[in-house]
Amino acid sequence: MTGRFKILVADDELIVRESLVAWLKKGGYQVDAASGGGEALESLEKSAYDLLFLDIKMPDMNGIDVLRVVKQRYPGTMVVMITAYGSVESAVEAMKLGANDYLMKPFEPEQLALLVEKLLQHKKLIDENILLREQMATAAVERYQDMIGASPAMQTLFEMVEKVAAVDSPVLIKGETGTGKELVAKAIHARSARRYGPFIAINCGAFTESLLESELFGHEVGSFTGAVKAKKGRLELVRGGTLFLDEVGEIPMKMQVDLLRVLEERRIHRVGGTRDIPVDFRLISATHRDLTKAMEAGHFRRDFYFRLNVLELEVPPLRARREDIPILADFFLRRFRKETNKPVESLDKKAVELLCAYDWPGNVRELENAVERAVVLAKGRILTEDDFAFLKRTVGTVEPQSLEDMERLHIQRILNLCRGNISQAARILKINRTTLHSKIKRYGLTGSA
Amino acid sequence: MVGDGEALAPEGLQATIGVVPMGDVGEVAVRIVAAHLQTVLGLAVDILERRPVSDRCYVPDRRQYDAAKLIAALKECSASWPYLKIVAVLSVDLGVPILRFVFGEAEMGGRCAVVSGYRLRRNEDGTDAGLEVYYERLAKVALHETAHTLSLFHCDDPRCLMHFAASTKHLDRIRLFFCARCAFLLKKTVQTLLESHGP
Ligand SMILES: Nc1ncnc2c1ncn2[C@@H]1O[C@H](COP(=O)(O)OP(=O)(O)OP(=O)(O)O)[C@@H](O)[C@H]1O
Ligand SMILES: [Mg+2]
Ligand SMILES: [Zn+2]
Ligand SMILES: [Zn+2]
Repeated sequence: MTGRFKILVADDELIVRESLVAWLKKGGYQVDAASGGGEALESLEKSAYDLLFLDIKMPDMNGIDVLRVVKQRYPGTMVVMITAYGSVESAVEAMKLGANDYLMKPFEPEQLALLVEKLLQHKKLIDENILLREQMATAAVERYQDMIGASPAMQTLFEMVEKVAAVDSPVLIKGETGTGKELVAKAIHARSARRYGPFIAINCGAFTESLLESELFGHEVGSFTGAVKAKKGRLELVRGGTLFLDEVGEIPMKMQVDLLRVLEERRIHRVGGTRDIPVDFRLISATHRDLTKAMEAGHFRRDFYFRLNVLELEVPPLRARREDIPILADFFLRRFRKETNKPVESLDKKAVELLCAYDWPGNVRELENAVERAVVLAKGRILTEDDFAFLKRTVGTVEPQSLEDMERLHIQRILNLCRGNISQAARILKINRTTLHSKIKRYGLTGSA
Repeated sequence: MVGDGEALAPEGLQATIGVVPMGDVGEVAVRIVAAHLQTVLGLAVDILERRPVSDRCYVPDRRQYDAAKLIAALKECSASWPYLKIVAVLSVDLGVPILRFVFGEAEMGGRCAVVSGYRLRRNEDGTDAGLEVYYERLAKVALHETAHTLSLFHCDDPRCLMHFAASTKHLDRIRLFFCARCAFLLKKTVQTLLESHGP
């Protein structure tokens, strides 16, 4: 019996309270009820609860205000907001304030069951100290969903994701390869109202034209040689969820028209079929290519582009947010230490400096691979510069051509190495500080790594 | 252990379950529910007289009947009936204030349960499930709800009758058995009941 979990239900409506309490009791949980915000806070003061169901609208004290107090005074209590139809906006605000989730009345039975199971599982992990130890390494502000990022650029991105998740329009995610576009897409899905639906990704560059068509649209029996069974396409399977079109720039022109039709008419035909099948999904696409150029060259349809690009997010390259490199490296080190079971503890100062100075053309994925390689091959408990020697050989393989570009790059590297210490950098560069300052200004360099 | 429902039944009752057909639920469905309660729970079962579905329990906004209200009404009218548990079988759509729909409802350790075949005839994708599947689902829901009246909680084992099944798809994954732990708890509860009431 799961009796050791304690749950509090705070709602001013008696029938809602009774109904939810009754359902939770059938799960064997210990459940109490409060008829308002004030009463809820009194109960929380008297005993500890694992989970609080909190109505957003209550006459004595609004649920958002109660949430603020709970997060501050009882951070160990997880909170699920109860909202009525039409108050989704306050639910989104609540999520920003640290609510774990929200449900709309009346709940879908499946959602309620999954949510309670998920949260209590999570709580169990925390209680067993597993998560706690991991979380101490990266403070809450440096983490968002499965993404790490303390730089202002990433913090801004996380805020954008939060806003974008609250609406259902198509999103286009731009960014160089390996910057984390897929993670951003997953985060949007996880924070959106479709989070209980599926997240289905398809890499449009990985299929031939006819295979991509049958992957997306599905096919009927006999539609082509070898189609011995009818098959549902991903557009059909993703019903209620989020479709992630990765490398959307690789979609052939003809299929761009087909997809445009799907987005406008919200229904599809399977390949070789005539039946209308309704579809329901949110579209997120990603590209590392400059689609404006592709449009100019006539490889990408303008109308399709504007359909995809209702909202736009850009994931900055890693070299534009170098302050994230040490925490990312640390995060990956922990992960690979666990996976490989090697007793690697940390990176030394020199190694961190090297990683911070490197330009990472393959962005976070390249960093992830580098740390993995270093951990796997490591001889000692601390990773040193030598463990990353393979990077040095590639530093500067894509060197700029002009003298000015060279100077700019060199100054930035030295600044990074000195972690923004101007005097130290000036000494190494053998120029005086005023000259360095004016060069920093002229080149628009960042003073710290 | 008995939950927070009130006393199990009036004085002098027999340890028998009364199954009440309500509204226009089919005769066969009721007999199948009765047969399963009898064999799986090992308690005697009587099929009682058909009764109308109370209009007071209808929720026009949701075009559903409130399962909790149906139970309250059933409790009231069955107060003097000499049965240990009362299980009503219906064919209307059921909901509770907090859930968009339910297949059945019961009070933990209480006396009454309601189950409905309304949402069990079709599969998730709208296709007809066929009579056999429909009856099997109804029997599972009836056993689940009746076991709640015998103080059984939800169970983590996804194939146990006491697992909370929120969809027909899930209901189909459940077997017509209780898992070893739930079966043990049930046996103990039923034994205690039989000892205190006699056959
Ligand atoms: N902010 C981050 N925190 C933690 N891990 C990250 C972060 N960004 C990226 N990663 C990791 O880096 C790898 C690459 O990320 P992802 O696949 O999302 O990039 P992408 O932009 O989709 O790349 P591509 O354009 O090559 O498809 C993944 O393993 C991902 O987990
Ligand atoms: Mg990707
Ligand atoms: Zn149940
Ligand atoms: Zn069980």
